[in-house]
Amino acid sequence: MCAAPLTTDSAPASLGPRTGALARRPVSGHRLREAALPYLLIGPTVLVIGVVMGYPMLNLVALSLQHYGLAELLAHQGTWVGLQNYQDILGDALFWQTVARTATFTAVTVAASMFLATLLALLLTRVSSPVKLLLSGGLIFVWATPVVVAIDVWQWMVDFEFGVANWLLTNLHVGSYAHHNWFENPLEGFGVITALVVWGALPFLTITLYAGLAQVPVEIVEAAECDGAGAWQVFWQVTVPIMRPLYLILFSLSTIWNFRLFDQVWIMLNARPSSGFYMLGVYSYVKSFKVDQFGLGATIAVVMVLMLMVATFVYIRGLARSGELDR
Amino acid sequence: MNPRHVARTAAVLALALVAVACGGNTGSSSPSGTLTVWLMNGSAPDSVVSAVNADFKAKYPNVSVKVQIQQWSDVTTKLDTAFAGSTPPDVVELGNTLVAKYAAAGALTNVGPKKSSFENSSTWLQSLTDSCTVNGKLYCVPYYAGSRAVVYRKDMFQKAGVQPPTTMDDWLQTGQKLMDANKADSSFSALYFPGKYWYAALPFIWDAGGDIAAQGGGQWKGTLNSTQSQQGLTTLSKMVGSLSRADKTGDEARQDQAFVQGHIAMLIANGWEIGVITDPKSGDPTLKDKLGVFPIPSHTSGQSAPVFLGGSDLGVAAKGKNQDLANEWVKLLTGTKFQTQMATVGQVIPNTTTLLDTNKDQPLLGTFAAAAKNSKFVPNSPNWANVESANVLPDMLVSIFTGKAPIADASTSASNQVTQILNAKS
Repeated sequence: MCAAPLTTDSAPASLGPRTGALARRPVSGHRLREAALPYLLIGPTVLVIGVVMGYPMLNLVALSLQHYGLAELLAHQGTWVGLQNYQDILGDALFWQTVARTATFTAVTVAASMFLATLLALLLTRVSSPVKLLLSGGLIFVWATPVVVAIDVWQWMVDFEFGVANWLLTNLHVGSYAHHNWFENPLEGFGVITALVVWGALPFLTITLYAGLAQVPVEIVEAAECDGAGAWQVFWQVTVPIMRPLYLILFSLSTIWNFRLFDQVWIMLNARPSSGFYMLGVYSYVKSFKVDQFGLGATIAVVMVLMLMVATFVYIRGLARSGELDR
Repeated sequence: MNPRHVARTAAVLALALVAVACGGNTGSSSPSGTLTVWLMNGSAPDSVVSAVNADFKAKYPNVSVKVQIQQWSDVTTKLDTAFAGSTPPDVVELGNTLVAKYAAAGALTNVGPKKSSFENSSTWLQSLTDSCTVNGKLYCVPYYAGSRAVVYRKDMFQKAGVQPPTTMDDWLQTGQKLMDANKADSSFSALYFPGKYWYAALPFIWDAGGDIAAQGGGQWKGTLNSTQSQQGLTTLSKMVGSLSRADKTGDEARQDQAFVQGHIAMLIANGWEIGVITDPKSGDPTLKDKLGVFPIPSHTSGQSAPVFLGGSDLGVAAKGKNQDLANEWVKLLTGTKFQTQMATVGQVIPNTTTLLDTNKDQPLLGTFAAAAKNSKFVPNSPNWANVESANVLPDMLVSIFTGKAPIADASTSASNQVTQILNAKS
C-alpha cells in the first residue's frame, strides 16, 4: 500500500513528455533542466558505447553486405552484393548444424553451471569457517587462472599420450584408456570442453549466488519454517523467488558467454578444429580468416548477434514479467 | 600573419619534404633503411641466415636486416594481415602451395622482368618455378624443395628379421612382422602415421592412379572419391589401422620427437627431419647410425610411389618500400653459394638442378633427392590455399581412420568440398 501515493505523485512528470502535455505548456528553465538531466547523465555512456561498440557493429553489418575476399582486403575496397551473403549462409547446411550445436552446448553448460553453482553456494552457507575459507580460496584460484593457461592445463590432462586422465581411468580400472583420444568423437570432446567451461564459470556464479543468499531475510525463512515448510519448500518458495532477479542476470550473462565460446574450442584443438567442433564463433572465424571470405564471416557474426539479442530479450522479458506478477 | 614569416615556414617545409623524400635512398652510393624478412620456422638454419646477412651487410652497410621467424600453423592469417597493411615485410617465404593465392590477390611483385638477374634461374626446379607462375607471370623465386620418404630404424628391422620393402603389399607385411616382434610394447608403432598427415597420404592416392582434383573446361572437379583414389585410401587405412598407434586426430608437427622415444620403427618424413631426429638438443644423436631411408613403395614392383613435392619460394611484397634491396637479399639466399649451404647444413633439396647432387654421397639424403624425381603437386589454383585452410583433407583422413564415416562417404564429401572451393570466385 505504501507504494500507491508515490506512484500517483510522480505520474504527471513521467507521463508528461509522452502525452505531449509538457510541450504545450510554457516550459520554465528549471523544468527543462530537470528534463534534460537524465539525458545529460546518460550521454557519456551512450557516447562511449557508440564509439566502442556501435561503430565496429556498423562496420560489421556493412562488411556482411559485401563480397570481401583477399584481393578486396589488399585493395581496402569490397564489392556490394546486397543480401547475397545472408542467402548463402542461411542455405548452408553446415551453418544450421553449427547453430544447433551452439544452442545445445549453451543450454547444457548454462544449466550445469547454474545447478552446480547453486549447490556450492548453499554448501558455503552451511560449512564451518575454515572449510568455507578453503572452498572459496579454491574458487578464487580457479577464477584467477587465465583462460589460455587453463585450457593448456586441461589439454595436458586429457592428452592422448601423456594425459593424467587416461592414466587415472586406466588405473582405476574404469576401462582401457591407454592412448584414448578424447577428441576423436565430438560428443566426448564436447564433454571435456563442457567440463572445462563449467569449471571456469563456477567461481563467479558461486560467489555471486552466495552473496545473494546472504540477502535472503532470515525472518522469512524462519516464518516459513514455523509454518511447517521443509528445506525443499523453503528453497523453492522463499529463496528462489527472492533471488529471481539475480538468477535472471546470471542466466543471461552465462548464456551470452557460452553462446559465443571460442577460445576453449580453438586452443584445445590446436587451431585446427574439424567441422564437428564448430561453434558459431569458430565458424565465423574460419570463414573470415581461414578461407578469406570476410563478408561471409561477418554475416555469420551478425546473425549470431541477432540470435543472442532475440534470445536474451525474450528471456529477460519473460522472467521480468513473471517477477512482476509475483509481487 | 606576417607574409615573410609564411614564406620562411613554407621554405622550411619544402626542405623538410625534400629531405624526407630522399631519406629512403640517399644517392646511388649506399642505400639505407631497414629490410624486414619473414622466414618460416625450420627453413634456413640460423648459421645460413647469419651468413647471408653478413654478405648483405658487406654490400649495403647502412641497411639493417630484420629476419623474423614465423610458424606454419597460423601463417596465412598473419600473411593476410601483413599484406593488407601498408608496411608488409619486404621479403616473405611462402609455402609453394600458398603462392598462387597471394599472387592472384596482388600481394606479390612480378619478378619476371628481373628473372635473368637471379643465379641459376635457367636451371631452377621446374615444379617450384611452376608454383611461382600465375597467369604466365613469375611472382616469386624458388627457394628450396623437400620430398618425403620412409625413415626407418635399421636395428628394429634387423631384430624382426625384415628388409626394406619394395612394394606396397610387401610394406604392409613388413609392418605386421614388426608389430609381431614388438608385441610386448603397447605403444609400439611399426609405421607412425598421425591422422591429419595429408602430405603423406597423397602418395597412396597418386600411386593408385587417383588425384585430388582434375581440371576440364575451366572448371575443377574433386576426384578424391574416384575408384582409384578410394583404392589408395583403402590401402592407407589398412596400413594405419594395423601398424600405427599415433593419434588418429593428431598432426605431424611432433612426429620427430615421438620417433626419438624409441617406440617407432618407420616414419614418413622430409629429409631435413633426419637432422631434427639426430640433433643433440631436440633429438638423439646416437640414432645416427641406426637410421635408414627407403622411398615410399609403389604397388608396382621396382617403382616408388609419386610423392608430394613440398617446398618454399621467396616473394617480394608489392607494397614493400625497399623492393630493390629485397631483390638483392633474395638473390643471395637463392644463389649458388647459399643454396649449397641449404643442402649441406639445411639438408633440403636446393632450388636448382645443378646442385641436386650436392648430397649424393650421403646415403640417407640421397634417397630423398631421388624421391623428388617422381613427384606431383596439388592443384595449382589461387583457391588451393583455402582447401588447405578449410582442413578438407585432414578432416577426411580423420573421419576414415576413426571409422566415423566409410571411405566412400568421407571421400565424396571431401571431393564435393574441393570442387566447391576450387571453383569459387575468390
